[in-house]
Amino acid sequence: MSSSDQPYIDPSEIALEGSAAERFQSREDAFWTGIRDAAGAPAMVLFAGMVGFGAMGKTNGFDVWFTTFTSLFMFALPGQVVLLEMAITGSSVIAIALAVTLTSTRFITMTVTLFPQFHHKDRNRSLYASVHLLAMTAWAISMREFHSIETKHRLSYFVGLGLICWLISVPGTILGFYLAGMVPPAITLGLVFINPLFFLLTFTEVNPWINRIALMLGCIFGPIFFIVDRDTSLLTSGLVAGTIAYFIDRKFLRKKAGIIG
Amino acid sequence: MSAMDTMANALSGWGLWIALVGACLGTYFCRAIGVLLSNSINQDSELFRWIAAVTYAMVAALTVRLIVMPLGLMATVPLWIRILICALSIGVMVSKPSKRLVPALLTGTLLMVGYGVIR
Repeated sequence: MSSSDQPYIDPSEIALEGSAAERFQSREDAFWTGIRDAAGAPAMVLFAGMVGFGAMGKTNGFDVWFTTFTSLFMFALPGQVVLLEMAITGSSVIAIALAVTLTSTRFITMTVTLFPQFHHKDRNRSLYASVHLLAMTAWAISMREFHSIETKHRLSYFVGLGLICWLISVPGTILGFYLAGMVPPAITLGLVFINPLFFLLTFTEVNPWINRIALMLGCIFGPIFFIVDRDTSLLTSGLVAGTIAYFIDRKFLRKKAGIIG
Repeated sequence: MSAMDTMANALSGWGLWIALVGACLGTYFCRAIGVLLSNSINQDSELFRWIAAVTYAMVAALTVRLIVMPLGLMATVPLWIRILICALSIGVMVSKPSKRLVPALLTGTLLMVGYGVIR
């Protein structure tokens, strides 16, 4: 997950054409390797997150259909948790949609860094379907592997990888939902704790400083705005803390060489 | 049951499903915009820096909320236990940042289960 949300990769550093060696014989070969690569530690963390999300849905009184549809059609854990939390506290539909959309803006930067690396023949309207498979896990693995995959096979590899990540999230959610109803409360407690802990742990790897400051300010403003008005607290604390971080970065940090990467 | 109390003023019925549709559309919108822009955008633009900062701040606010002011089952765990477990997990994580996500996640989850067993 390490560099997953770093939007500041220089596109000119990404080799667009002709990697050195032919790593795969065919598109099928690339597709199946993508599927195999999905079965590693990152996908297990994603699966655990989805199990935890299912358990959150169950313990907060949502039904299994709603919880599962969320994983299937949103496939973005932070946004899914925002949706659950705001629905529980009774926020308005508009506030929920806006907050979830804002948490998903990271997909814009992730797509913009990854998709120019596909072969130009693959860059057509079908990408609007494949892009639903894009999430933190598949993005991070693809960014690591693409430089050693020839451009014409990259899309097949990505689809195999993303498809598995997407498809395991549904059984993961259903498993978590029913486990939370059956296992002792101690286990349920652990399941519900997975996602907050996972988000917290990924914060330790965030770069550059503007985003670290945004995190710290978000931690401070989040509880304050929650006490003031909890319906809109995620939106307001995000906008206020993020904007302050942006101006701190702009006024003070950018001029000092070496502080921002 | 505290979950019942919180559900009393929660979204329900059609409102809940409309919120889900809105959330799905918003999420897909961001993915699609990324495809649309992937030819032309400059990721170092001011707008992108600002959006990234807002996103991080919002996820941080959410995370702190979930840990410090949780609803439902997690609220039955004392605050200091929650914070202690988080601190220990972060300790495992930063002891070797590149490869410790899974052990750190396991540490925290198992400690939480352990607390649930002995309380």
